[in-house]
Amino acid sequence: MNNPVSVVVNGAKRSIVVGQGITLLDVLRDQLDLTGAKYGCGEGQCGACTVLVEGKAVRSCLAAAESVAGKKVETVEGLEREGRLHPLQAAFLEKSAFQCGYCTPGFLMAAEALLRRVPKPAEAEIRRELNGNICRCGTYPRIVEAVRMAAGVGKR
Amino acid sequence: MDIKTRYKIETMDLEPDRFEIFAPSAHQFEWTRRELLALLGAGVLYVVSAQDADAQQPERIGLRLHVAPTGVVTVLTGKVDIGQGLRTLLTQAAAEELRLTPEKVRVQTCDTAVTPDDGGTWASLTTPQTVPAVRMAAAALREAGFHAESMQRTVAASVTLTAPKDWKVLGTSLPPVSGRDIVTGRQKYGADVRVEGMLHGKVLRAPSHHAALVKADGSAAEKVTGVRVVRNGTLAGVVAGDDRTASEALRLLKAEWKETPLPAQAEVFAHLRKTAEAPVFVRGSRYPAVLEQGSVVEAMKGAVRRHEATYTAEYIAHVALDCRSAIAEWDGDKLTVHCGTQAPQVVRRELAEAFRIPVNNVRLIVSNIGAGFGSRHRGECELEAAALARAVGKPVRLAWSREDEFLAGYFRPAAVVDVKTALDASQRVVGWDFHNYNSGASGLAVPYAIANSYCGFHKSDSPLRQGSYRSLAAVANTFARESHMDEVAHLTGSDPVEYRLRHIEDTRLRHVVEAGARRFGWEKGRRGMGVACTIEKDARLALFAEVEEPIRVRRLLLLFDCGAVLNPDNLRNQLTGALIQGMGGALFESVRHDRRQVLSLRLSRYRLPRMADLPEIEVQLVDRREVAPTGAGEAGITLVAPALANAWFSFKGERRRGLPLFTAGEPKR
Repeated sequence: MNNPVSVVVNGAKRSIVVGQGITLLDVLRDQLDLTGAKYGCGEGQCGACTVLVEGKAVRSCLAAAESVAGKKVETVEGLEREGRLHPLQAAFLEKSAFQCGYCTPGFLMAAEALLRRVPKPAEAEIRRELNGNICRCGTYPRIVEAVRMAAGVGKR
Repeated sequence: MDIKTRYKIETMDLEPDRFEIFAPSAHQFEWTRRELLALLGAGVLYVVSAQDADAQQPERIGLRLHVAPTGVVTVLTGKVDIGQGLRTLLTQAAAEELRLTPEKVRVQTCDTAVTPDDGGTWASLTTPQTVPAVRMAAAALREAGFHAESMQRTVAASVTLTAPKDWKVLGTSLPPVSGRDIVTGRQKYGADVRVEGMLHGKVLRAPSHHAALVKADGSAAEKVTGVRVVRNGTLAGVVAGDDRTASEALRLLKAEWKETPLPAQAEVFAHLRKTAEAPVFVRGSRYPAVLEQGSVVEAMKGAVRRHEATYTAEYIAHVALDCRSAIAEWDGDKLTVHCGTQAPQVVRRELAEAFRIPVNNVRLIVSNIGAGFGSRHRGECELEAAALARAVGKPVRLAWSREDEFLAGYFRPAAVVDVKTALDASQRVVGWDFHNYNSGASGLAVPYAIANSYCGFHKSDSPLRQGSYRSLAAVANTFARESHMDEVAHLTGSDPVEYRLRHIEDTRLRHVVEAGARRFGWEKGRRGMGVACTIEKDARLALFAEVEEPIRVRRLLLLFDCGAVLNPDNLRNQLTGALIQGMGGALFESVRHDRRQVLSLRLSRYRLPRMADLPEIEVQLVDRREVAPTGAGEAGITLVAPALANAWFSFKGERRRGLPLFTAGEPKR
């Protein structure tokens, strides 16, 4: 059952152990020490565990580890390149679009998936896409602003 | 190396800071110095002593500031960052008084072996208490001749704080100092902490909210390789080498319980009334349970008109996204726990009592918390982790699931509030009789000039485990009071804004109501608009709301005056968040249960505010530099429910007196 398989995480080939009950979130946090993705609910309701698999937003708490075998996984840790923040990170920072910050990695990855699909989303589209992510501190208005800023669609 | 050669200890006498809830630990210097060196490196450590005003108490010792050879100053605080901006605020406080740029300041949050006891991270006290304490210590250091370059210093007897008009760092929107760590995912929370050689624990939950463990059968669970079953008093659990094995073993752990039934959900309010005690006045309490003025009995007798109504609030859950977790490690009779608590000294004492060890033997290293909202005032998870670790003799990590949070945490208290008013011939309120059952005494005070009033808090037997919540009972009490004022305004044919103003003498409160009405475009008789105002923890605020069908909040405008604003952007962020969080409890949040157990155990069964719920939100700050600032993390949540209930009445002509106002239970999206 505990078979090692290979997966590309943030551009690097990694060997992970998969098996019954092991989720992608477990792999990231416990095997690869990538703790940016968070556990919040375990049922895909809060989005704190959101990462990209083949460029699409996935709830890593629901994804079986074996489902990513041979695939490309991207996490919040991979957004920053050589000390330079990704535009979404820079925008979240500029707008202070967080309080405790626990949900931030999930929002960043969900927003990144949206912007790759729709580079200039309308505000309604941002809200719809991110409705599956919970920010319990209630920084939603700033998150919307930050995503608009990163997408270069500016202020209302 | 001998630690004493590495640290010079300076002692300074300062004005008292007034955290008075828990006595600080007496002596722990040997431990402290060792840990300090590990944590902060070499440098000069400043011990700031503060005495009680009457000097009856023994001197309190607080290690407050550390200056590294590089000139970097570290502020030590027993408080915790829960997203409220503590690190940023204390950075500003120290930078201001030391005339340093914020980059030269670090903040070390709670590690009980090192940091001073600043009380719990609760009740919006960081701004009114911890900021002044840090400013005084920093100012003393400055006056003592501290220069970052030369490290010269002498001891000062008294300090002068920088006048607000001269502030260069305080009063500005310094961005969150942890911002970069947050957006890169580097910020660590409780769940991200690991300790070498740790095992993983799970605790068996009872099938019933009130249940005593009778018998545990661990024979099947123990057959799983590497699993230890732990039974200690009321606790049954398992420990394994990894989390998944522990989960597997937990499923095999069987137990018998003695269960006590809950009242049915529909019976809860009656139960709270039935089990209520008379209010008891306790001198010096932060939230007095009885507030009395004039004679409310006489006022009722002489009333030209009376109005009475009952308001209720259901239990709701905090749902900080970061579930509780703790890593406990024993060394003989010394216990170290890595955890995320808002109340380190409370949890420390709980642990000391539970394991019958001196409180100084307990060290808590507190991580950042993925938000608190009052949910982390007790040490449920820390106790469980410590019991498991003690039984197996190794460090044990216990990470609660979301279900554990709903099953073994606590809720915001349910409330029943009876309000009765007496009006005179001029339609003015002259008698105010107000009784809160079960939820608490905060927010009891009436901000209106009413000659005769009685406000009391009755303790009751709460069916569900309950505890603190952002602003405590002020949500329920303010909902009842501001709904009632609205009812009386409408009864007398008055405009709700004008009617409130007739009863307000406090000029700052008048200002937020008047300025808010103008800004909002308040119009007499206009459909769908609601207002509420309050003085909460000494802040003055007014909230204006507009609603439309189908039960949708269109916009919210908050006017907020908490005195001097220390960080405008952080304050706006806090207040906006409080409004959004308040919408959940006002509109749809409710913990469901049957006669046995809580039924809302998952986020798919407990609806929280999401982006789709967002109205237009505007927050206007009234910055009064000359007024010492009050805390502001909580107050913003108190007006949402009444403003929405009042707006709904204006829209529909239908008065809703129970929270949540609308859909309870299942999410509707």
